[in-house]
Amino acid sequence: MTDERQLRLEERLLDLGTAIAFPATPPLSALVADRLRQPPRRLWFGRPVGRALLLALVATVLLVGLAAAVGIALGGLRVVFGPAPSPLPSMVAGPGLGEPTTLAEARDSVTFSLRVPRLPGLGDPDLVYLAEPPAGGAVTLLYRERDGFPADPATNVGLIVTQFRADIGPEVFEKLVNSGVRVTPARVGGEDAWWIAGGEHFFFYRDARGNVVDTTLRFAGDTLIWEEGGVTHRVEGAPSLAAAIRVAESLE
Amino acid sequence: MAGGVGVAEVEGRPLLEREWIESARRGDASAFEELVRQYQEIAFRTAYLVVGDADEARDAAQDGFLRAHAALGRFREGAEFRPWLLRIVANAARNRRRSAARRADLAVRAFRDTASGDAAPSPEALLLAEERRDELLAAINRLRPEDRLVIALRWFLELNEEEMAAALDCPRGTVKSRLSRASARLREAIGESGDD
Repeated sequence: MTDERQLRLEERLLDLGTAIAFPATPPLSALVADRLRQPPRRLWFGRPVGRALLLALVATVLLVGLAAAVGIALGGLRVVFGPAPSPLPSMVAGPGLGEPTTLAEARDSVTFSLRVPRLPGLGDPDLVYLAEPPAGGAVTLLYRERDGFPADPATNVGLIVTQFRADIGPEVFEKLVNSGVRVTPARVGGEDAWWIAGGEHFFFYRDARGNVVDTTLRFAGDTLIWEEGGVTHRVEGAPSLAAAIRVAESLE
Repeated sequence: MAGGVGVAEVEGRPLLEREWIESARRGDASAFEELVRQYQEIAFRTAYLVVGDADEARDAAQDGFLRAHAALGRFREGAEFRPWLLRIVANAARNRRRSAARRADLAVRAFRDTASGDAAPSPEALLLAEERRDELLAAINRLRPEDRLVIALRWFLELNEEEMAAALDCPRGTVKSRLSRASARLREAIGESGDD
């Protein structure tokens, strides 16, 4: 194993490298551009979301008017009643749920300890998404229809569980709700929680530059939100507060 | 020649690249598209070396670019984009490897523009060179996947140490030792006659 032998080998390897038959590079720039133009990717199992529906919902939120914002502060999350105070169109162009991944990879990627509901009958999530930003990562677990968790006819999603760090620095999460929404205080394992029910609501955050970034863009069903151990949790789509709490308290 | 990997294009790239990154961060989709165009080949080939399957490599590279897009806000200003991207792409590829049933062997192109060397070689010399290449590649294909990957990243994609560390997801300090162990095993595989 002289240096000379190694050098000769390296020369041969370099020469070989010029002759390797790699498969043709696919047109990734076009493929990626296409995917980026579809903001709420794959939230809708097998069905693209109607852009018109999306815009109609944005309009609904805008129409709420300039009512003063009332805030519920919850870790890094702020629930805001009223209109969106900044340009909404960027919400439509946001990165959606993030990238599809596996539970194991999501666990490795986030800076908090990811938990999964262990409610009997729920099983493993059908899809796992990882988004970053926010700092530290956000993980969304999606479940299709399950016993006791009927699928939303528009999205085909039965249940959504999301977790992200609450101490997210300059990013401020906001849940935008309109005045038709009821917010009910609740408890999850001794922690304060909020049950947001009865209307459409958006969930987004402002990044360090103050841009509004959509994180989910779901017109989810009713939502339970709470913070535990520095992590904000959301359970969306449960048919009742009691069912949402059962899911929440089964997290481990 | 770097086999189209793009080493020759490095000159003058940083400024433009920084502008693309900055614009892409501000939401300019066409700037990100430019970044993808610039790096799609190296990303795809890196993914291909990891998964050993062209379709899986395409999906992994696409996933990687989308993840990179989502994570652009965390890209450290002034850092090298290529290793950052290759780390994401290689990770995406590793996550797909479990589903790729078989790993295709690397192959040599049937027709090449020119053989290396200055003077026009004789047909016999060309044939000999072909044989030596085939022999070397066969030995590489017989190596353990980890060794094959290290050698291919270094000599076929011509990644530098930082890029290799990113693609292998290992500390920079271990790249050299992995490469030298893989080279030693390759020398062993081609035997004494392979170098003499």
